[in-house]
Amino acid sequence: MTLPATRQSVAIELDSVVKRYGDHTVLDNVSLSVREGEVVAIIGPSGAGKSTLLRCINLLERPDSGRITVAGHAVDAGSEISNKELVAHRRVAGMVFQSFNLFPHLDVLRNISLAQERVLGRSRKDADKRSKELLDRVGLADKAAQYPSRCSGGQQQRIAIARALALEPKVMLFDEPTSALDPELGLEVLAVMRELADEGMTMVVVTHEMQFARDVSDHLVVMVDGAVLEEGPPEEIFSKPGHERTRRFLRAVLER
Amino acid sequence: MSLSDWAENYPALLSGLWVSIRVTALALGIGMPLGLLLALSANSPKKVLRYVTIGVVEIGRGTPALVVLQIVYFGLPTVDVTFSSFFSAAIALALTTAAYTSEILRGGLQAVPSGEVEAASALGMVNRDTLRFIVIPQGVRVAIPPLMGFAVLIFQASSLAYTIALPELMSQAYSTGSSTFRYMSILGLAGLMYAAITIPASWLTGRAERRMARHL
Ligand SMILES: Nc1ncnc2c1ncn2[C@@H]1O[C@H](COP(=O)(O)OP(=O)(O)O)[C@@H](O)[C@H]1O
Ligand SMILES: [Mg+2]
Repeated sequence: MTLPATRQSVAIELDSVVKRYGDHTVLDNVSLSVREGEVVAIIGPSGAGKSTLLRCINLLERPDSGRITVAGHAVDAGSEISNKELVAHRRVAGMVFQSFNLFPHLDVLRNISLAQERVLGRSRKDADKRSKELLDRVGLADKAAQYPSRCSGGQQQRIAIARALALEPKVMLFDEPTSALDPELGLEVLAVMRELADEGMTMVVVTHEMQFARDVSDHLVVMVDGAVLEEGPPEEIFSKPGHERTRRFLRAVLER
Repeated sequence: MSLSDWAENYPALLSGLWVSIRVTALALGIGMPLGLLLALSANSPKKVLRYVTIGVVEIGRGTPALVVLQIVYFGLPTVDVTFSSFFSAAIALALTTAAYTSEILRGGLQAVPSGEVEAASALGMVNRDTLRFIVIPQGVRVAIPPLMGFAVLIFQASSLAYTIALPELMSQAYSTGSSTFRYMSILGLAGLMYAAITIPASWLTGRAERRMARHL
C-alpha cells in the first residue's frame, strides 16, 4: 500500500535539529520526516548520534536549535515548555531502551500499570486489565506476577514494549532493542516488533539487525558523525550504497 | 561484684534501659525522615538548594552529638526555648541522625540506575512520581543495612544524655553505682544491657546486608 506522500499525514518531523554537548556537536542539522504508519530504521556506527536523535524526539534531551514535531505537537528548541506539555509530548512517543530499564522492585503487572495510573489517571483495576491484555499480546500472560529479574532478557524487553504501549503512544521509538540480547532472544523481540509494524504502528528503530531493517522498515536512514549520510528504500541502500562510508559500515556489520 | 548487686539494682537499670530505648526510637523516628528530606534536596537539580543542604549536613556531621545535646538543653533556654531533658535528648539525637542518615540515604538514592529514571520520564511520569514510586522505594531499600548499623550507634550515643540528667540507662547505672559504691558490678550490668540490644541488632544488620547482596 503506497499512498502518495501528501495523503499520509506526518507523524514525526525533525527540522534542522542541532544538539551539542559542550563544544561537541552530536546532532548537526538533522532533518527527518516520518509518515504515519511508516517504519524507519536508523543504522550507523557507534557514536553517530542515533540514541541522541531518539532522545530528542521524545524530549529526554532538549535540542539546541531546530524544531521537533510529534503527532502534531511542535516544540521549538529554546522555547519554554511546561511540565504538562512535556508529559503530553512524551505520552505520544513510547520509548524502548537497549537495557530494558524495567523497574526491578515492581512485579511485571505493576511495571506496566504504574504509568497508566499516574499519567493517564486510570484506576488500578482498569490499568491492570489493560496490562494483562498487553502482556497477552507480547506472549507473556503467565508472567504478570513475576519480578523482572525472573524473566529472560527477551521477556524483559517484550515487557518493556508492553509498558510503553500501555500509554497508547502514536509513535514508538526503539533504541537498539535487541543489542543486549542473545540472537535467539532477540528474535522473539523482533517478532513482537514486526507484529506491531504490521498493525500500522509508526516506528523509528535504531538497530544493527540488518535483516529486520531490510524486511520490516519502509525507509532506511544511515547516520554518521551526527548527520544523515543517506536515506532511502532499504533495498536500494543495501544493494548499492551511495557512499563509501555506508559500504564500509555495512560490510563491518555483516562480517560480525 | 556479685549477683545480689544485680538482683537488687536491676529494676532501676531496666527502667533506664526503657528510657534509652524510647529516646532512641523517637530520635530515629524524627531523624530518619528528616534525613530522607535532606538526601532528596542534596540530590536536587536546583543548585542553591543542593549546596545549602550539603553545607547544613556537613555542619551536622562535623558537630559531636554531645555538643548538639548541650546546645539543645543548655543553649536554647537562653533564647527562651526550653525542652525537657527527654525531648532535648530526642531532638539532639534526631539532628545528628538526620545529618548522618542523609548521607547514607543519598548513596542509596544514587544507586538507583539512571536508566530507570529515564524510562519513567519517557513514560511521561513527573519527577515527583518518579521519586515516589521508583527512586525512593529502591534507594531506601539499599540503605536499610547501613541505616540499621547507624541505629545501633545512636542507641549507644543515647548514653550521652546522662549529661543532661535524663534517667536513661547510663545515668541510672551511674547514680546507683555512686550510692552503693558497687561501680564495677552495676556498670558491668549496664554494659550487658546495652549489649543485649546492640549485639542482636548488629546480627540482624549483617543478615539484612546478606539479603540485600543476594537480591541485587
Ligand atoms: N550526556 C552526554 N554528555 C556528553 N556527551 C554525550 C552524551 N550523550 C552522548 N554523548 C556523545 O554524543 C555522541 C553520540 O552519542 P549517541 O547518540 O549515544 O550515539 P549512538 O547512539 O549513535 O552510538 C557520542 O560521541 C557520545 O559520546
Ligand atoms: Mg546508541
